[in-house]
Amino acid sequence: MFDAITKYLSSATTPGEAGSIFWATIYILIITAGISLSVIAMNWLERKILAHMQIRLGPMRVGPHGLLQPFADALKLLIKEDIIPAEADKLVFWSAPVVVTMTAFTTFLVVPFGRTHAVTDMNIGILFMLGVSSLGVLGIIMAGWSSNSHYPLMGSLRSSAQMVSYEIAMGLAIICAVLMTSLQTGTGTLSMIGIVEAQASQHTWFIFKFFPLGFLAFGVFAIAMVAETNRAPFDLPEAESELVAGFHTEYSGFRWSLFFLAEYAAMLAVSSIAVTLWLGGWMRPFPNWLSGSIWNLAFSLFPALTLFVLAGLCLLGTARMPKIPQMKIQTVGLGIFGLLLGFIGLVLIIPGVRERVQDIYWFVVKVAFFMYMYIWYRGTFPRYRFDQLMKVGWKVLLPTGLAVLIATALWGLLPQISSAIVGVLP
Amino acid sequence: MSLKPLLRKLFLVDLIKGLKVTFNYQAPSEAITEQYPLERPVIFERFRGQPRLNSNPDTGESLCIVCNLCALACPEQLIVVKGERNPTTKRKEVVSWTYDLSRCMFCGLCAEACSTDALELTQDYEMALYTREGMVLDQAALERGQEPKRYEK
Repeated sequence: MFDAITKYLSSATTPGEAGSIFWATIYILIITAGISLSVIAMNWLERKILAHMQIRLGPMRVGPHGLLQPFADALKLLIKEDIIPAEADKLVFWSAPVVVTMTAFTTFLVVPFGRTHAVTDMNIGILFMLGVSSLGVLGIIMAGWSSNSHYPLMGSLRSSAQMVSYEIAMGLAIICAVLMTSLQTGTGTLSMIGIVEAQASQHTWFIFKFFPLGFLAFGVFAIAMVAETNRAPFDLPEAESELVAGFHTEYSGFRWSLFFLAEYAAMLAVSSIAVTLWLGGWMRPFPNWLSGSIWNLAFSLFPALTLFVLAGLCLLGTARMPKIPQMKIQTVGLGIFGLLLGFIGLVLIIPGVRERVQDIYWFVVKVAFFMYMYIWYRGTFPRYRFDQLMKVGWKVLLPTGLAVLIATALWGLLPQISSAIVGVLP
Repeated sequence: MSLKPLLRKLFLVDLIKGLKVTFNYQAPSEAITEQYPLERPVIFERFRGQPRLNSNPDTGESLCIVCNLCALACPEQLIVVKGERNPTTKRKEVVSWTYDLSRCMFCGLCAEACSTDALELTQDYEMALYTREGMVLDQAALERGQEPKRYEK
């Protein structure tokens, strides 16, 4: 048993490539649990960060600094009465949150958290991700239609219009990155792992490739992905001030929480597309400038260091807790949590684990940056009007994406073009 | 469109400025929320809250001389003062004093009208009750004033 595990862990393929159903199942379970956990963490972080951006404090009462607030919320949602409107189309109403959640989670099949840390490596990986994630809009339309109510219908129609217009700009930006993968080998790849490996072999993240073309393509994608996930400032489908809650107005309790889960999972999915395509996926920063065994060691210690810092913050918080009997349970809990984090940090120092975990760590850090940007946008920008949204999509992002695509293709062909010109010249 | 606004739009200058503002607000020292029961708000000096009848600190006698000016000044007519002249001291003394807090709008005209500084609107503000009973304060309640409640879970 132990031998099988160590043998597998030392192999250099994904479970899908190795054809191991057992390990694939384990990976799926781990990824599902990880996404659910990060959605819980995101819930807390979003409320806290948004509150601080609005000069508030956010949740403070449930657990130290409101750390247990998402769990309290989840419990509340689970035991809440689950209402289906009398006039609703029951079957469609019932299946809409399932469709949304399934599509949001299925995209993670091909997300490469590391060279070996993906469920499988599909040769059409990025296409699969785009296809499945845009199926999510079907669930949203189902939810809006089956509710048999005006606001949800309006919300879902807005959502579909928005998704259709931004999908194109997004696709154009993605093609730019896919074109770049073909630069050295001559054959491009759609595989997510292949795209990251192309960045490794070209010694640059695609965001810096053909500057400013890579950056522009990334910019188009970064705007389109916010619109694609219906987040502020493009959150028209669920605009609270106009449509109550948009397509999930009639949903409550557990079904509503499925929509919530799916929204955040979709955010994580598009962020991981952006990380894979432009920010070098699982690669650590500066693999060229700061190369060598010493730098490798230094960067591989980052996961443990991060956990130590978090543990230190928790223990500092424990020390600074008010010394009153009512706070005793919270103080002890925070202390145990801090020690737990420190212990995980210690485990991550072990050499074998260290090398195995660092690519996951860098991938997660990059995705976390995007999640922070999502919250930051939400705290800063007012919502677009619908015609402005369409204008940005069709009149700004689409032409920019097309221009960048053509420019990238021409730049990539530059060696051939110049040699052809030299050949023609006398 | 002239060049400068175009460039501003192109490089998203205004958006980045906005992002900077919200980023700087994240410092915990910027938060203006006060955690009410745990930390009590600063009450301004001229805040008009719970009414109080003052008594002479040396003798413990009520400062009220039953002149009825407060009752006359009150726009809601919620103050009812009844007094009787003490035959020995020749002073009017309070028989009953009621102050209906449920109708009070804290305009402070009664305290302004009081000729002896007996009636005063203090800075206490925790007057919420679950029922209407107990909202009509008598002399004892008015003289006792209100002790701030300490927060306990």
